Amino acid sequence: MGRPRIGAQFGRQFRPDGHFDRSAAHKPILVLDGVVKVFRADAPVLRRVDLTIERGEFVFVTGPSGAGKSTLLKLVYRSETVDEGRILFCGRDIARLTDDSVPFLRRNIGVVFQDFKLVPYWTVFENVAVALEVAGMPSRIIRSRVAMALERVGLAGRGEDLASVLSGGEQQRVAVARAIVNEPAIVLADEPTGNLDPVLALDILGLFEEVHESGTTVLFATHDRSLLEQAPQHRLIVIDDGRTIEARQGLRAVGGALDAQRHNRDADDAVSTARLPL
Amino acid sequence: MKVVSRALRGVREHVRTQIVSVATVALALFCLATAALAAQNLGEVSRRWGGPVRMTVYLSDGATAEQVESLRNALSALPEVSSARYVSPTESRALVAGDDRVMASASAELFPATVELSLVAGATDASRVEALAARVRRLGSVSDVETYQGITGQLQSFLSGGRTATLVFGVIVLLCAVAVVSNTVRLSLHARMREVEVLRLVGASPQYVRSPFLAEGALLGGGGAIVAVSVLAFVFFAMRGRLDATLGTALGMRPVFLSLPILAGFVLGGAGLGATGSALAVRRWLKV
Repeated sequence: MGRPRIGAQFGRQFRPDGHFDRSAAHKPILVLDGVVKVFRADAPVLRRVDLTIERGEFVFVTGPSGAGKSTLLKLVYRSETVDEGRILFCGRDIARLTDDSVPFLRRNIGVVFQDFKLVPYWTVFENVAVALEVAGMPSRIIRSRVAMALERVGLAGRGEDLASVLSGGEQQRVAVARAIVNEPAIVLADEPTGNLDPVLALDILGLFEEVHESGTTVLFATHDRSLLEQAPQHRLIVIDDGRTIEARQGLRAVGGALDAQRHNRDADDAVSTARLPL
Repeated sequence: MKVVSRALRGVREHVRTQIVSVATVALALFCLATAALAAQNLGEVSRRWGGPVRMTVYLSDGATAEQVESLRNALSALPEVSSARYVSPTESRALVAGDDRVMASASAELFPATVELSLVAGATDASRVEALAARVRRLGSVSDVETYQGITGQLQSFLSGGRTATLVFGVIVLLCAVAVVSNTVRLSLHARMREVEVLRLVGASPQYVRSPFLAEGALLGGGGAIVAVSVLAFVFFAMRGRLDATLGTALGMRPVFLSLPILAGFVLGGAGLGATGSALAVRRWLKV
């Protein structure tokens, strides 16, 4: 415990009124309430999605390609905005954040992508340190935090290497280090193993498990069934046809969850959501 | 300071593009600095030769020595006149003939006696000179008055045209410099899109993302200006001996280089131009 969480410090900054809300500590970390996202009018990507994620959970989000997994994550880190509904992060509706507040939101969220999103001509250190530099942290603290993060992902002593010379697995480890270096409230992973072979994929999953064990909430989007089978203890959300279903507890539980979600929906919608890929 | 170091990192990472663009900006600003240098020296010429600073009073044939002296005294007493010097026909012949033996052997009576007037500094504008000439013509023993207004008018017209051309050329060059920096920063932006994406992802503010690009533009502009004035200074001082001989003989003045405040303004202006070009590119191409 000991060290205060940086995320908690920044949590108060992304609030437009600048006041720390103590009750936020007891609220779910993420709540999606009737979220609708439409890119094409005839095919909404997300249709009234309801989802609650508690602090410290590890949640898999799965579903076929194009089902809306990435869109859901983009909505959470405000790369996209909802068309209807609310997304509450630490109790705050992020859809209502002003553009000026979005950077502060993102400093509370670590994001890892399939294509790593590293700057190839920066060193490993620079790629990780950037997450702290944008918050104006003193360089002494940045050095120690980056060293700790690199040690956590198994890249201690590689700080001076250019990102471009690393293997795919190592690059993804750097991306994970960048996502966790400021100890965010939640880490979002968008198909982080998509570019890796099965062995490395398991390796990276293990890394996220370790991040989760340290108390960080993890939202892990993947369509790789083998990964899901490797971690059956975690909660599993299926997105299909724009709707989310709790899948890990079995079909009956899924049905019950859907009933609770659908009380405002029409019967046709309810039938279509019963098609589960798992 | 961090902004500058981030901008320098961007410059280092695309050093070839930056060298080409500094050279292009330097070329444009070299042309501008040359024009400024020309304008400054034309101004000096204008101050020296642009106004009718003297007047020649031709005396009537047969004017006696007493009449001439009386006239010279009257002219000296005029407030617009700083000095009045009598030039006899013999002296006129010597001035005109110079080394020409044929001319020197001509009769002195062919050359008119004159009184050469030097005007005070505040009396050299065209209207006052014309009014003075009219008053002098009415005096006794005066045959004619030459104000040299035709020659100075032509010189003024030439200098005015030169200044206008310099101004137009300067505006075109400035626009070119802004366009060059803008396009360089645009290239830099495209080359560093991943960096911008990462910065946005980790919560950098729009100002944090934009500032190094603005600084990069200012560095390009300022660097280009320093290169431009350095090359111009080298060329100017290397050619100064020859210029001194040519202009000194023709115009009676030494060419002068741009003053330190103008040079400082030039470098700062270059940086400002660069920042402006960069701001245009950032506004157009960088969505944060």
